[in-house]
Amino acid sequence: MKGSHLGEFQELVLLTIMVLKENAYGVSIKREIKERADRSISRGALHTALSRLEEKGLIESWQGEANKERGGMRKRYYKVTDTGAAALRTTKQLRDSLWNEIPDLSLQPQHNYA
Amino acid sequence: MKEKTHTPPLFYTRLFRWFCKEDIYDELQGDLDEEFVLNIQEFGIHKARRLYKKEVIKMVRPSIIKSINAQYTSNNHTAMFKNYSIVALRNLGRNKLFSSINIIGLAISMVVGLIAIAFVTEMYSYDDFHEKGDRIYRVVNTRTPLNQTPSEYATTSVLTGRRLASDFGGFEAIAPIYRGFSGNMTYGDVTIIQGGIYTNNDFFKMFSFPLVAGNPETALSEPYSVVLTEATAKKLFNRTDVVGEVIEYSNGDQLKVTGVARDAPFHSHIRFDAIGSLETLITKNSSVVTSWGSMWSSYVYVLLPEGAKPENYQTSLDQLAKEENEKVKRYQIAMGLEPMNSIVPGDGKYNQMYTIMPKENLKSITILALIVIISACFNYTNLSIARSVKRGKEVGVRKVVGARKTHLFAQFVIEAIFVAILALGIALLLFQVVRPGFLTLNFYMDRTTRLELTPIMYLYFFGFSLSIGFLAGFVPALLMSKLKPVSILKGISTIKSSRRVDLRKILIGLQFTLSMGFAVLVSLASKQYKFALNYDLGFNTENVLNVDVQGNDLELLKAAFRKVPEVKGVSTSSMVPSTGSSNSDYARYKDPTDSAIAYTVDVTPEYLDNMGHELIAGSNFREGETQDKIIINELMAKRLKIGTPAEALGQSLHFYDKNWTIIGVVKDFHHGTVNDKVEPFGFTSGRSNHYNLNLKLMSADITSTMSKLEDAWSEVDQLHDFSAIFYEDQIERTYSEISASIKTFGLLAGVAICISILGLLGMAVYTTESRVKELTIRKVLGASVSNLVLLLSKGFMPLFIISAAIAIPAAYLMFERTIVQYAVYKINVGIWELSGGALLVIGIAFLTIGSQAAKAAKMNPAQNLRDQ
Repeated sequence: MKGSHLGEFQELVLLTIMVLKENAYGVSIKREIKERADRSISRGALHTALSRLEEKGLIESWQGEANKERGGMRKRYYKVTDTGAAALRTTKQLRDSLWNEIPDLSLQPQHNYA
Repeated sequence: MKEKTHTPPLFYTRLFRWFCKEDIYDELQGDLDEEFVLNIQEFGIHKARRLYKKEVIKMVRPSIIKSINAQYTSNNHTAMFKNYSIVALRNLGRNKLFSSINIIGLAISMVVGLIAIAFVTEMYSYDDFHEKGDRIYRVVNTRTPLNQTPSEYATTSVLTGRRLASDFGGFEAIAPIYRGFSGNMTYGDVTIIQGGIYTNNDFFKMFSFPLVAGNPETALSEPYSVVLTEATAKKLFNRTDVVGEVIEYSNGDQLKVTGVARDAPFHSHIRFDAIGSLETLITKNSSVVTSWGSMWSSYVYVLLPEGAKPENYQTSLDQLAKEENEKVKRYQIAMGLEPMNSIVPGDGKYNQMYTIMPKENLKSITILALIVIISACFNYTNLSIARSVKRGKEVGVRKVVGARKTHLFAQFVIEAIFVAILALGIALLLFQVVRPGFLTLNFYMDRTTRLELTPIMYLYFFGFSLSIGFLAGFVPALLMSKLKPVSILKGISTIKSSRRVDLRKILIGLQFTLSMGFAVLVSLASKQYKFALNYDLGFNTENVLNVDVQGNDLELLKAAFRKVPEVKGVSTSSMVPSTGSSNSDYARYKDPTDSAIAYTVDVTPEYLDNMGHELIAGSNFREGETQDKIIINELMAKRLKIGTPAEALGQSLHFYDKNWTIIGVVKDFHHGTVNDKVEPFGFTSGRSNHYNLNLKLMSADITSTMSKLEDAWSEVDQLHDFSAIFYEDQIERTYSEISASIKTFGLLAGVAICISILGLLGMAVYTTESRVKELTIRKVLGASVSNLVLLLSKGFMPLFIISAAIAIPAAYLMFERTIVQYAVYKINVGIWELSGGALLVIGIAFLTIGSQAAKAAKMNPAQNLRDQ
């Protein structure tokens, strides 16, 4: 089913929102991802992801306060819904079970240059 | 505080505002701004701006940009359009004065635009009727005489056409055309004069000149065959089924009619009354068809096969030119192909087949029309902006109720388009009034233009008025739709930003610059025209009638005219001096190295008396002893260092390969136009090629004298009409170009002044209306009417002074560059010539303002205050 499938970027956004807790809005999400994953994402791309997630019911949003830096424009805060949290958990379980199948993973060089 | 001065790139902010969906705009714009501030702190302003731009660009994605359709789906187009129309009409009705100023102003300028459109369309419609027109090309020549600059000719030798057909391949049809088939044709006792061409059968294959009788494939195969047009056949036979008849041509040839062609349309650059077969000339072995150098009155048209490129034929033409040029020394001829569609309007080639409107005329009329139209659009813009204060409330209410910028913009533009369409109606009527005047403007117009309106032109006119409406309504609509409801409802005073007043002033200033410029130009041109007509030629042209001899026997004509009692003197001459034609050669006296260009006119002995030339020394020609005698002017004696007039008598001059004995010296006179200096000049006598007959008349009743002269003419020549013109009229005709410029610029000056005065009237009405309260209070406090008028007019003065300062030098420059570009003798341009036109315009302007101000000032103060 398409609705329950989480893309890699969507998963990243969901997790970031959860990490940020009460302070998850456009700029903070963007900066958090930049800091943790060293990924520069455009605000436009982020908007697309957020609106998809909201459509699927994985997150919800509400208008917040405005301030001077924002030229008087209000923020929009995002929060992961229960469905969202469940979806994250499902994804994690799937990964975990896969990881469990792989015994002693160790990184080995593929080639030796003698 | 520092970061407050750093704002994001304005353009990108606006761009984003424009494309972003309404409901998510606040969130995204806020995020952009916040991030921008953070970025400034981290990376500095430059990088922050760069990142901002990048972010905005990346916002362009379906989830963010407005959907194009969503914007309007909630509106009912037709209903809104209807509403706009009703509001527009109501507004027009409510402000009758402003509406009529707008409509009349636009209508006047539109006439000029309509003429330009009709004229340009007509010129480009030339030769459109040929079915194979896009494949027809004309061979054109560039002739370079030895050691001289090349000239371009529309003509080509007939030989070129014949050789292309015989020695080079690849053409579908080749039609050489020789222009010289003109003369009289006689059938029974009817003789007509006609102007025709010689060509071959390919002519009918190539061009769409259909035959109503005869076979186009063979009509011109035989020598001495002729195809007549229907009109010519009717004139000659009074019927058109004339194939097989034989007519006599003026050179004695018996020509057999082998076909009847439909008359050539007016908009054809090829026109003819009859078509003779080129075979006739080939049979006679005329040099016209065999000589490479005889390229002056023949043309070669070629029809290329479908899909052929004209460039591919250049090598054939070059090869042919090379072969033929080797046989001659004095000149070289290069050839090229010119598409038939680009023959009209003409690009200045010499020897066109028929009068062809030069491209420059099209260009200048288009530019002038644009100037006038833009000026009229300024009026609309100006008045609309001035009234925006009153319309502001309407805009405010509409906005509050939910109208968007685009809706308001549409409404105001529709209003302007309404005005433009109403103006078009009036302009169409005016067009019919102006049309005859325009057609007789000059020689070119008369012969090439009809200005008949075709359906396609009406379509152009309609499109034109729509665009005028849009152009005029654009700025006011933009300004009005930008108004913010809050500021409108707060009070109208806030709308009056100083910037907009400046825009209005600039527009009015431009209009007045144009008006003054045209007015000054007209006054300068008409001064020069009067000067050219009236300046003292040094001989007497009064009551001299010049008769076109038209090939008749001079002695018979002279005898006939002498019988008319009012004729006091009869003479003949080879040409008419002072009207632009001349004949000249280098003349030498004793010193073989010193030569001077000298002009001559051949006359009969009576000529000098007829024209009142003053002999300073020597005597007139004596009848019978005229050979090799010359009467020179003073300058010739001086220039060739012959000595005093008395010393010059009996001396011998060498020119025209002959020796001439000086028998008299006349006072210097102007033998050329104002564009020529007085040069050495000589009268000769005794040659027979005289084309003009000069009659000195003494008559109280010119009309009856003219009819007597006509009778005398028809005793000698029944075939041609009597064609005569008074010397003074002939001189006037010489300067017809100046008079055409005066007419054109006069019309434009009139239009420009009308428009600017209308605009000014509107502005004056508006200014006084909006200041009625102030004026009334001033009056109550004791200001006189003249004080008030001065108060209101004062503001316009600097505007007029600046306009005049730009207009006068510009007009003077234009006068120098165009009208008197070649004139040797011209008027002295003084302060009055320059400022007269400008002062007139300023005068009218102040009358306009003053009348309005006086009206307001004279009103009863009590009345005004009560109204307010």
